[in-house]
Amino acid sequence: MTGTPTPAAPRLVVGIDLGTTNSLAAVRAGKGARVLRDQDGEPLVPSVVCFHPDGRTIVGRAGKALRLEHPDRTVFSIKRLIGRSVRDLGPDLNHLPYAVVAGERDLPRVRIGDAQWSPEAISALILQQVKHNAEQALGHPVREAVVTVPAWFDDAQRQATKDAAALAGLDCLRILNEPTAAALAYGIDGSKDGTALVYDLGGGTFDVSILRIDQGVFRVLATAGDTHLGGDDFDELLAQRIFALLPKTDDPYVLQAVRAAAEGLKIQLSTQERAELQLDLGARGQVTLAVTRAEFEGAIAPLVQRTLDCVQRAVKDAGLRLEQLDDVVLVGGSTRVPLVRARLQSLTHKVPHTGVDPDLAVALGAAIQADVLAGNDRSLLLLDVIPLSLGIETLGGTVQKLILRNTTIPTSVTEEFSTGVDNQTAVDLTVFQGERELAKDCRRLGHFKLRGIPPLPAGLPRIAVTFLVDADGVLRVNAREQRTGAEASIQIVPSFGLTRDEVRKMMLDSIEHAQADYLAREAIDLRVKAEAMVRGTQKALAMAELPPDQTYAVQKATKALAKLLVGNADAPTLKQACDDLSKLTATIADDVISSAVTKALREEGSK
Amino acid sequence: MIHVPAPDPFTVFGLQRSMDVDERALEQRYLKLSRECHPDLHRQQETGDCIAVLQRAAEINDAWKVLRDPWQRAKSLLELASPGVLDREKKLDPAFLADALELAEEVAFANGATINPLRERLERAIADDLEALHGAIRSGEHALAARRLHASHYHRKAMRDLDAKS
Repeated sequence: MTGTPTPAAPRLVVGIDLGTTNSLAAVRAGKGARVLRDQDGEPLVPSVVCFHPDGRTIVGRAGKALRLEHPDRTVFSIKRLIGRSVRDLGPDLNHLPYAVVAGERDLPRVRIGDAQWSPEAISALILQQVKHNAEQALGHPVREAVVTVPAWFDDAQRQATKDAAALAGLDCLRILNEPTAAALAYGIDGSKDGTALVYDLGGGTFDVSILRIDQGVFRVLATAGDTHLGGDDFDELLAQRIFALLPKTDDPYVLQAVRAAAEGLKIQLSTQERAELQLDLGARGQVTLAVTRAEFEGAIAPLVQRTLDCVQRAVKDAGLRLEQLDDVVLVGGSTRVPLVRARLQSLTHKVPHTGVDPDLAVALGAAIQADVLAGNDRSLLLLDVIPLSLGIETLGGTVQKLILRNTTIPTSVTEEFSTGVDNQTAVDLTVFQGERELAKDCRRLGHFKLRGIPPLPAGLPRIAVTFLVDADGVLRVNAREQRTGAEASIQIVPSFGLTRDEVRKMMLDSIEHAQADYLAREAIDLRVKAEAMVRGTQKALAMAELPPDQTYAVQKATKALAKLLVGNADAPTLKQACDDLSKLTATIADDVISSAVTKALREEGSK
Repeated sequence: MIHVPAPDPFTVFGLQRSMDVDERALEQRYLKLSRECHPDLHRQQETGDCIAVLQRAAEINDAWKVLRDPWQRAKSLLELASPGVLDREKKLDPAFLADALELAEEVAFANGATINPLRERLERAIADDLEALHGAIRSGEHALAARRLHASHYHRKAMRDLDAKS
């Protein structure tokens, strides 16, 4: 599937869903969008990075496969850490099999051996893999993207996600809210006007948005959510039952194995009434456990209820009643849990839409918005809102809200300030994000210092400060002294995430290591491809009825390749063996093998 | 360079300054203006223009927020017709304030069976406020309109408190 871009080719911007559990990219195609698959036909890149003891950094499926082997070096759910401080994270860090330490300004750092990694850098590795897969699928470089985040992400989390994209070599044209993206994927032709509720329950976060679709304009009316509620929490409840049957331990291997087993139980319980687990951890213990769906549903019911409370709040914020919803749309893998569907349906009296794969909808929607931002599609327009109120700290530590949550962006507000002391030439303003009344309960976004105020008696200067929230949801501040017309300069000190200097340094470092990284990734890709070929060919051989001599020839070439894989052969040797095998299977495919077998081969990733 | 205040919402939408607005026509106008001015559809332009486009888009969103809400629309109209009137006409009838206090107390102690009748009473009071407010603005009685707008805050706050209880 290689295509060379023609000079007249439209500007290409991909949509990327950077998920807690899985990530993927999609691109606009015709009236809809399509996901970009890797060479094995897989759209999802597990958001997992393994820092192998041999120095390799292994991302995605291959990385996830190593999580039991190297539990303390395999990082997952990094999205829960991004843009937050160690203090914010609190007890959440206890359950992780990898070590998280507090770095500068209390920012979390993942410690792997002697090295420390920021959540931004780890997210960048995942994005790089997604970018790489997209480039392979498209046949040309990808430089621009729309990246999605939960609607409930605050400014610091959004900024950190943008930084991760920059580190991965992507120009992030927009940080887009996941439920909004999902709604785009469902309502793409824009022909059906109405009001939709998008219920997005992913691995780690829950979002709900209410949208009105009106002649191609997608208007978000309200959004609500919980940054800390998702399928991982369902897993955790099952994991606790398993832990109860084991001696108490913080052995990372056991933590990881139990986590994986719990996830397996959950998935089974979506289709079965009862699931059984037999977990053999060798010397570390054995577990036999049977769970019924009713037991599981009893355990998760309070969590599901929390999501329904959010739904009701969002509907109310939108100024609507539940009966006024036309459609209910499900997004996120955790919406496969039957209880979730049943409870949502009984609340809304609407059968939820499941037409688009809940794992893919967000990326598909991001691709559509990407195409709009690329300037290729002018028929659609998305009007989004800010998810959290913005305000400034006033005397006594309370927050004066300047822009309320669910206000359509761009938006602006101008407030007038003055001085409290004679001849004061600077004023400090601290901006907070959140719904609570006291500054200490809100998220501190940053600090603005207005300088250059003319020296006047207290209370005389009139400083008009304009807060403008742009279409990215990012705040810009601008201040002027009204009497003299002097412009006050503003310094912004971010409270969280990376400083601009840190981002620049990390980008320079990544350029320095780009060549080595590229070679290492090539070698890994080749291995993954070779492994897929061995599996695929074996499967095809079992299905096809070939003459004995041909069977023998293919088996011989397959075995040779498998042997090289075990023996850690170098890249050129491996490549040669892969080419030999694919030549052989290609001739056979032409001559004898039925189309079903060719399909099996293609699915398993041979070129 | 003095700070330029944003144009009033009626000017942004190119509408007559009036309380009477056709809601569907207003929404259509909002969608049309958004299509014309949203920065997402004007990304290719120069940086200087970008800020202008952004500010224009913010003005449209902010004007829409005011115009679609009858209370905010009335407030904006009053300020435009008679600047400062809302500050000058803050004093409310003591008898009304006594009633308002009593109402707040009723809301605070409302439970079960008393909630629904109370809600109906508040709904009527708010509808009366709105009608009187519109009438006063139409007939040019700005002082009266300002006082009625202030009075309505007590009823609307009571309603919010009641909603928070259920």
